[in-house]
Amino acid sequence: MVRSKAPSKKQQKRGIDFKKIKRKLGRKLPPPQNATNTEIKSKAIVLPEQSVAAEKTGLAVSRKGLTLKELLQQTSHHNSKVRRDALMGIKDLFVKHPAELKSHLYVVIGKLRERISDDDKLVREALYQLFKSVIFPGCNQDYEGPLISLMMAYIFCAMTNFSIEVRLMAFRFFDLVVQYYPGCFFSYAEKVLQNYEDILRQNKFYVEDKGKLKNALAGLVHCLSLLTSNKQEREKAIAEKKVLHAYELDAPTGVSISIDRLKELVQVLIGCFQEFIPLFNSTTELDAQSFHCILSILQSIDISMEFLICSILKETPQSKFLQVPDPTMLDQTFSSVLLKKLLGVFPLNPKYHLFGKEDDRFFVLNILISKTFLHLREWINPPASLFENYLEFIVNALLGKICSDTISGRAIWEKHLPSLLPFIPELVLEVAGDWQPRLLEAFTQTFKLCSPDSSLKLSCLSAVEKMLIPRGDTLDLDANDPVVVDYQISWIRELPILLILLGDKHPTSSQVVLRLILKVGQFACSISSRAIEYENIQYSIMEFFGTFQGGNICYGPFTKLPRDCQELSLSCVYYFSNINLDLLRSIASCFLCPELEPFLFFRSIEVLQSAYKAGHIQISDQLSFLITLVTRFNVDMESFRTFQTFKSLTCIVFSCLESMGDGSLILQMVEELILEQILLNLPIVNACAMLRVICKLDSKPTILSEKSIINLSNFLPAYLINVAQVSISFVYIDPDFCLTE
Amino acid sequence: MEVVIASSSDDAGIGCWDLRTGAEKLRYKTCASPPHGLVSVGGRFLASSQLREPSASSGSVLFWSWSKPQPEVKSFPAEPIKPLAANSLGTYIVGGGSSGNIYLWEVATGRLLKKWKAHLRGVTCLVFSEDDSLLISGSEDGCIRVWSLFRIFDDVQSQQASHLYEHSITEHSLPVTDIVTGYGGCNAILVSASKDRTCKVWSLSEGRLLRNIVFPSEIDVIALDPGEHVFYAGSRDGNIYIVALHAESKPSKVFGMHIIGLLSDHSKPVTCLAYSKEGNSLLSGSEDGMVKVWDLKTQNIIRMFRHAKGPVNNILIVKPQSSPNLSKRHGSLLPPPLEKYANSSDKETDNKAVIALQATISSTPEPFYYSSQLINDHIKELQQQGSAAAEIDVERLKLDCKRSMQMLQQWKKMYDNLHEFCVDELLDGHQVPGSEGNSA
Repeated sequence: MVRSKAPSKKQQKRGIDFKKIKRKLGRKLPPPQNATNTEIKSKAIVLPEQSVAAEKTGLAVSRKGLTLKELLQQTSHHNSKVRRDALMGIKDLFVKHPAELKSHLYVVIGKLRERISDDDKLVREALYQLFKSVIFPGCNQDYEGPLISLMMAYIFCAMTNFSIEVRLMAFRFFDLVVQYYPGCFFSYAEKVLQNYEDILRQNKFYVEDKGKLKNALAGLVHCLSLLTSNKQEREKAIAEKKVLHAYELDAPTGVSISIDRLKELVQVLIGCFQEFIPLFNSTTELDAQSFHCILSILQSIDISMEFLICSILKETPQSKFLQVPDPTMLDQTFSSVLLKKLLGVFPLNPKYHLFGKEDDRFFVLNILISKTFLHLREWINPPASLFENYLEFIVNALLGKICSDTISGRAIWEKHLPSLLPFIPELVLEVAGDWQPRLLEAFTQTFKLCSPDSSLKLSCLSAVEKMLIPRGDTLDLDANDPVVVDYQISWIRELPILLILLGDKHPTSSQVVLRLILKVGQFACSISSRAIEYENIQYSIMEFFGTFQGGNICYGPFTKLPRDCQELSLSCVYYFSNINLDLLRSIASCFLCPELEPFLFFRSIEVLQSAYKAGHIQISDQLSFLITLVTRFNVDMESFRTFQTFKSLTCIVFSCLESMGDGSLILQMVEELILEQILLNLPIVNACAMLRVICKLDSKPTILSEKSIINLSNFLPAYLINVAQVSISFVYIDPDFCLTE
Repeated sequence: MEVVIASSSDDAGIGCWDLRTGAEKLRYKTCASPPHGLVSVGGRFLASSQLREPSASSGSVLFWSWSKPQPEVKSFPAEPIKPLAANSLGTYIVGGGSSGNIYLWEVATGRLLKKWKAHLRGVTCLVFSEDDSLLISGSEDGCIRVWSLFRIFDDVQSQQASHLYEHSITEHSLPVTDIVTGYGGCNAILVSASKDRTCKVWSLSEGRLLRNIVFPSEIDVIALDPGEHVFYAGSRDGNIYIVALHAESKPSKVFGMHIIGLLSDHSKPVTCLAYSKEGNSLLSGSEDGMVKVWDLKTQNIIRMFRHAKGPVNNILIVKPQSSPNLSKRHGSLLPPPLEKYANSSDKETDNKAVIALQATISSTPEPFYYSSQLINDHIKELQQQGSAAAEIDVERLKLDCKRSMQMLQQWKKMYDNLHEFCVDELLDGHQVPGSEGNSA
């Protein structure tokens, strides 16, 4: 514009001959008459993208003052930095205004999904963080269906992207989706596994970029683990259901994966594993990343084989009746590949022994291979020498010989060993020769040595349960074998000790132990040696309830455990076929504990009464138990509640006494005991209850002996005076009693 | 006519009342039954196991016919039998022994068809499923097992399979006290009560836990509403709890989850329950010896029967039928006593069932089943003409047949005569007009 002025001036000059125009400094020239007005006038300018001054009041904005709409537009900006900033901005905005997410969810996802296959690494990472930290946690299950289908198309697109980086990231995205919506894996499983297979085939990159591979494999492990865990969760959901018969879809939600697909995947994984084998022979230390890669590969193989076997069994219904699986059901070439390339290389050992940490890593890997082997053992007919290799390893692993002696080695041992333990019962039944005692010995060692509250102890317990009560409900038929019986007895003896060791700090473990003791009691046959062992438990379990030490009562863990444990332990007591007086005494001692809920008094009287009816308690013991309860119960005169409890306690004791037989006979049995107790200067309330017992049982005319009437008449005046003195309104004397006197 | 029948663990006999009028009927004597030990066998007669001393070497099962107060048939199985059950037609009686064995007898012959080790401890209750194909047993160790009668008699499969039962349920921690089954084939439910203060609802076909209900006291007995909206649980504290099955229930703080109400009048533990479709009423027996009839609509007591001093522990509601005439040959209306041991000579013979012909067309369309052994015996008896009655029958039939033949001959003769006569008449009649015409 400025330029156009200049030439017009020159032309004017030419027209006028050298006329000098005087100009005063500081004064502006008036505009030439023929000048064009270059001013542009408009009413409003709308610049939506860059308007800093746009009206944003009432709209949710990010820290930088941008609205959601602007941010979404910026996500497709050509500059990667802007894109990343936009994603950050969106995150920021949703954190500040969570409601925005819900109202614009589909728009946001629809826009953001385009970035899944973004070229820039940082942008993808930012997107991942955005989904992970804000979007998925923020939206609930209702949106699941449309949201997933929106995402999946782009994820699959990215999985087949040219760049490997993008593809790996796509797997991470998929993993993220599956983490939040586990159900969606099954509808896409086939396709995803196919993609995993494709990427794992490209073996060029994994030597270079193990970190990425590690992530992808971790995703695979997670996906595959859904295959097996799915079933249990569904069962749990059913138990909590409100209606009895709900409509259930007939179509199986789980298995949409063909067996062939899994086999292919396993073969590819074995190929990957082969790539790593040279590492074991190298002189350098096995680095963390390759270790994790191998770990994930082995885990994936293990899970897919487990699932494979399950689905083969499901497809052939006649196999249910067969005791031994048929090796021909698994493809021959496939199983030979497995045997040669994976199971055959066992055990993995570093060629050049370096130091302890290495040992633990190899231990973990070996455990995984053994697990796969044990899954497959019956299907592939392994050669005997290989089988012995594994057995050797298992025995050593149980004894803890392989791990390093450091604390971390110990921790790894406790963490990874449980995965082998479920196979022990099966192995013990099947192995021949001296392997059985060796295995049993090693297992018993592990069982005794591991710390009481560890997960190792829990899985040991479940293995013990399987061996003691095979098939969940019948006696062990193999009990004739003296070796096995010896070990069984030692496990049973271990249980009460463990229970007391656990104390009241680990209620879940205590519950497992109690449940096992209960099962042993339920299924112990009346003559077997194990039944005798179960009887012996009652001596060691006394400490669990409470013991007397020099006149003081020492409460066991019973009083402090949660109620279901307490009920379980009472159920255990029921199954002792001959409950002795000491156990009754220690249970009674628990009642003196002020912390115990009244519910438990009633429950234990109920259980013991049924035990008495079933002939497990002698009548004199039961009578003295009941009388002891009434005489020794501490009634706090201040609190009305304990008095109420005591009142209902006496009512229950009455009904128990009545149901035991004829009143006068019972009275003859307890007469001496009661009088002895009454004369011991009981608290008034207890004495009153005792007198009521006598009244209740006595008939007219009285059958009390001369001696006890004399004793009573000595006692009563003082008692009456006491009553009057205390003048508690709710203590009254049965008028009937005075009549009998 | 529905009749209420109650027995007690005291030796107080079996009380019998008309449910509608409340009139007391015959009292059957000498019966001390354990819980679940009284059963009406197809409505034809009553059977009850008897409480024995724990040391007794043999059990005792007594039969009463409807008309006589004394037990007519006494049988002594190999061990004390506690629970008894019969299928709805009264073909089989099943008894649970105190050592965990289950005995299955055929009623018509008294043969012990099968005995098997069902539990490790004593059997506490036995129930047939609605269609009589499954037997459910509960035991003192808290275990419930579902048996298919079909599989029990399938020797080949039972040798192959590791266990005989269909399902084994071991969730209860203390002895099982009662079991009831619902209706509906594969969707039927099973409700079990136990001394561990819980009742559990199971799916009968899958053996899967559907619901767990915790009560404030031990439950000794349960009864199911025929619509399966609710079930009734009689407890040790004397209350009868109403528990929702398909009915809507709000979590109640007073009693616990799923418990929607209670009927409370007994001061003593409720020991038995029975539901009567006639008048939608519930009968409850308690340890105080009373049987009370509750109107379920108003939840009031509408009638009371006094049975005995001791605890009532069984109530049945039955429609007595006169027994079919098949057992008349034995001189009594009742079948022979139950055998103590399985007869070794029976082992060769197969245990096939044979569908018997119906006695009359008007009777129920369901067929009676007998073991082929029984039918074979009948055939043999007829063939050997061992029975005098049959011989007379045959003679009579022969005579009848002869007489009929004679009659038939006679009739035929008459018919021939008549026919001849008619033909002659016709021919003559035709001739006569013809001749007349000709003549005209």
